[in-house]
Amino acid sequence: MSEQRSELSPAGETHSPQETEQAETLHVEKWEGIWIRIALGMTAVFILAITVAALSFGISVPGVTARISPAALNDPENPFATPGLRELAPGKYEVYMVAQTWNFLPDRLEVPVGAEVTFYVTARDVVHGIKIAGTNVNMMALPGQVSTLKATFTKPGVYNYICHEYCGYVAGAPIGHHTMYGQLVVADAPETAQALTE
Amino acid sequence: MSVSSSQPAPSHREVSSPPAHETWGHRRLIGLWLALLAIPLLAVGLFAVLQPVQVLPRIGLAPGFLWSDLNGQTFSSELLRGKLVIYNFTSVTCTAPCLDGSATMQQLQDRIATLDTGGLPVTLVTVLLDGTESDPALLRAYAARWKADPERWQFVTAPADSLKQGVGGGFGLYYTATAAGEVTFAPLTVLVDGNGILRAQYKRTLPDLAFVERDLGLIAAEVRNSSGASGLVYEAAHLFACYASY
Repeated sequence: MSEQRSELSPAGETHSPQETEQAETLHVEKWEGIWIRIALGMTAVFILAITVAALSFGISVPGVTARISPAALNDPENPFATPGLRELAPGKYEVYMVAQTWNFLPDRLEVPVGAEVTFYVTARDVVHGIKIAGTNVNMMALPGQVSTLKATFTKPGVYNYICHEYCGYVAGAPIGHHTMYGQLVVADAPETAQALTE
Repeated sequence: MSVSSSQPAPSHREVSSPPAHETWGHRRLIGLWLALLAIPLLAVGLFAVLQPVQVLPRIGLAPGFLWSDLNGQTFSSELLRGKLVIYNFTSVTCTAPCLDGSATMQQLQDRIATLDTGGLPVTLVTVLLDGTESDPALLRAYAARWKADPERWQFVTAPADSLKQGVGGGFGLYYTATAAGEVTFAPLTVLVDGNGILRAQYKRTLPDLAFVERDLGLIAAEVRNSSGASGLVYEAAHLFACYASY
């Protein structure tokens, strides 16, 4: 390998025709070639696996599930006008959440253990994100787009959620990205929710 | 075995330089691997950007239910297999400013008679959120007001807890009912395909039928064209090309 590297000269140096010809005929060592083939083969296998998984199991990348104009967020017909947690049926909930500089609406949620919660998240102004620590809830919150995720919370506790996209600042105002957080309380009984947050 | 000291040792370059045909072979091999890698990436990129096939997303399974029509006859989700079904949800107590979608359903009833859905039957179902606890005469009077053709448009209801499970937990509609029977709900129209899969949810009052007609056309085209190898193309389209229906 060291011999091969010695052929490669820094850019800008002049070479004789013979040296140029030798530099162009880069020889790949046997084991180096083997590993290159393995790496390329693994890449091909990964692409194939992703394709098969997507077609066979319906796994798809997160995308736009719905669009909404930020100007329409306060439309009374729109659930984002009254963000919060709503019980759809016993054990099933939905959350309409608005991320804005620099807070979440709502910034506190309480659900019982085992609750299946569908999150609908959008942003009012700039790009935000939401990550509920200790869970797999992790979404972008984009102005004009509704991000959706369904999660089931099986362990009681207090889970903080934070904005994980640096959401800038307003000139003349203190930077508030780090203050953008909320709490999800998963309680095994209503009275436990109060105790967990005290 | 002795090596003459008068002969210069061959340089490393001379030793390691491969024959020209071997170098060409390596280049071709690397080019082949790169091409194998690039072709699927390029195909995926073009498919995502150009969207040659457009489909409605598969949102999830529609809920199964065992409700009843306004004559007390059993009305189950299994009866709707093989049909495109458009659901809406309302209440007989719905008065302005309540967002009643039944007027839109009435327009749809007239429109689907002439709409080309590729031979797929379309059924309209209005779920009355009042429940069977309400006065049956009130429910029937409400349905009669819209001049529903029973062949195309059904009005159904169920006991309150069954409705809550199916409509709230299944279709994802949040609604509340007071003890006095007054129901508050958000507007929702849902499109379910013949396999019982949710394909579109319109969570607002529809200004016209354009979205519904477009989506019915997309499903009809998918059913018509997705047999055989082209079915894989449609499956790929489900990964990239979905309409937002909010």
